[in-house]
Amino acid sequence: MEFFNAFSVSLQAVWNDSGFSAFTVGNGIMIVVGILLLYMAFVKEFEPLLLGPIAFGCILANFPNTGFFGEEMNVMQAIRYGINYEIFPPLIFLGIGAMTDFGPLLARPSTLLLGAAAQIGVFVALAGAMIVGFDIKEAAAIGIIGGADGPTSIYLSIKLAPHLLGAIAVAAYTYMSLVPMIQPPIMKALTSQKEREIVMTELRTVTKFERVVFPVVVTIFISLLLPPIAALLGMLMLGNLLRESGVTDRLSDTAQNSLCNIVTIFLATGTGMTMNAKDFLVPETLLIICLGLVAFMGGTAGGVIFGKIMCRMSGWKVNPLIGSAGVSAVPMAARVSQIVGMKSKPGNYLLMHAMGPNVAGVIGTAVAAGTMLAMLK
Amino acid sequence: MGHPVTTNPLIIMLINMTVVFVVLVSLSVLINLIHMVDPTKQPEVKEDEGEAETAAIVSKLQAAPKVEPEPAPVVEEGIPPEVIVAISAAIACCGISGNVRAVRVVNNNKSAWRQNALNSGLTNV
Repeated sequence: MEFFNAFSVSLQAVWNDSGFSAFTVGNGIMIVVGILLLYMAFVKEFEPLLLGPIAFGCILANFPNTGFFGEEMNVMQAIRYGINYEIFPPLIFLGIGAMTDFGPLLARPSTLLLGAAAQIGVFVALAGAMIVGFDIKEAAAIGIIGGADGPTSIYLSIKLAPHLLGAIAVAAYTYMSLVPMIQPPIMKALTSQKEREIVMTELRTVTKFERVVFPVVVTIFISLLLPPIAALLGMLMLGNLLRESGVTDRLSDTAQNSLCNIVTIFLATGTGMTMNAKDFLVPETLLIICLGLVAFMGGTAGGVIFGKIMCRMSGWKVNPLIGSAGVSAVPMAARVSQIVGMKSKPGNYLLMHAMGPNVAGVIGTAVAAGTMLAMLK
Repeated sequence: MGHPVTTNPLIIMLINMTVVFVVLVSLSVLINLIHMVDPTKQPEVKEDEGEAETAAIVSKLQAAPKVEPEPAPVVEEGIPPEVIVAISAAIACCGISGNVRAVRVVNNNKSAWRQNALNSGLTNV
């Protein structure tokens, strides 16, 4: 009899400690969402490097009784600290800086304006979010989705609306992966065949001096002007300096490969871990996803419309298609400009011209985030 | 964190867009400044200098002695121009430099000895 009692109590304890006892319908739904995202990442190949770990983090976050969200330190807690204390986004920027060639931007600085114009989507979504009932800080965090810059979206969300981090990060990365589908119809609708066929003149050669001095000058200028984003911009420019100096190849290689890959795994998994059913399965998530789309479309339209203005002012020397690349999403948005341009006129290579607004968009989104942080603190 | 400066979405939009544009225009100015003070840049060729250089090259070309075109080959009547072109191409393919000066039809109404001598002469070129 004693044996059966002990057996029963043990079984009860095992059941109580298991995830099944506390498993909710919401957890089940979120695990299905995670599997769906995994399918999109690995079968459809939508940003698999980011969406894959996010999806798996989402699945992990919905197992009850794991202790991931408790007080005791564990690997998942350590990853969450890396996000909550804003460690990972600047490290990702270090890698992006080491991978980015600012040459096209330095050769044609006027394309910075296209990067600025594409930020209109951020502010349209911000206004939209406030109209549907989000408070100003939440609206700012949602609006930054339009910048199409994952690390900046996460950075701003943590500072202004940490409870919306999961929805914002998922929306940002999902739309970034959908850039080739979202942008072309808008680009075609806003431009004429004649505009799309414009062949741009070759870019001038950029010297090593310019390449090395630029990141130093930008860091000094923007860090003094907008200190809240000094960590982001500073790391972006440090990465670029390592790349351009020509004497720190090992550091540049580490920043753009090993380090960037490691931090991507942590950042994406940690972002996925914020998608637990309690926080994610709320009506606000759907609103955020819709507003993110508005932000993206607004940013694309803003860039193309400003591209048309530059086209007229330059005497038909600027192809407006490169304006859409102002929404960051490096280098996918530039590739979309190239593809749409090539379809309109085979042999018209816009890729290098579009890289200028593309990297300007990264700086523009960070500046927009810094401005909002400065205003809303 | 304290209270936000304003909660009017339109004002926030306008202020933010203005700041973004001002910062990026300033960066554009800085880039131009870096380019201006760059001690390693190649001296830019002015448009006038470029035009003068082009004019000098054109005048040199005009002053150069003109190369007289090769005289057309003397072709016997009845031979179509395509045949001349084919013969010229065949000679060029053999790696023989020079031009075709004359083409004539070899009279086939020759004695067997004479025809044989002609063939061997052709094959031993």
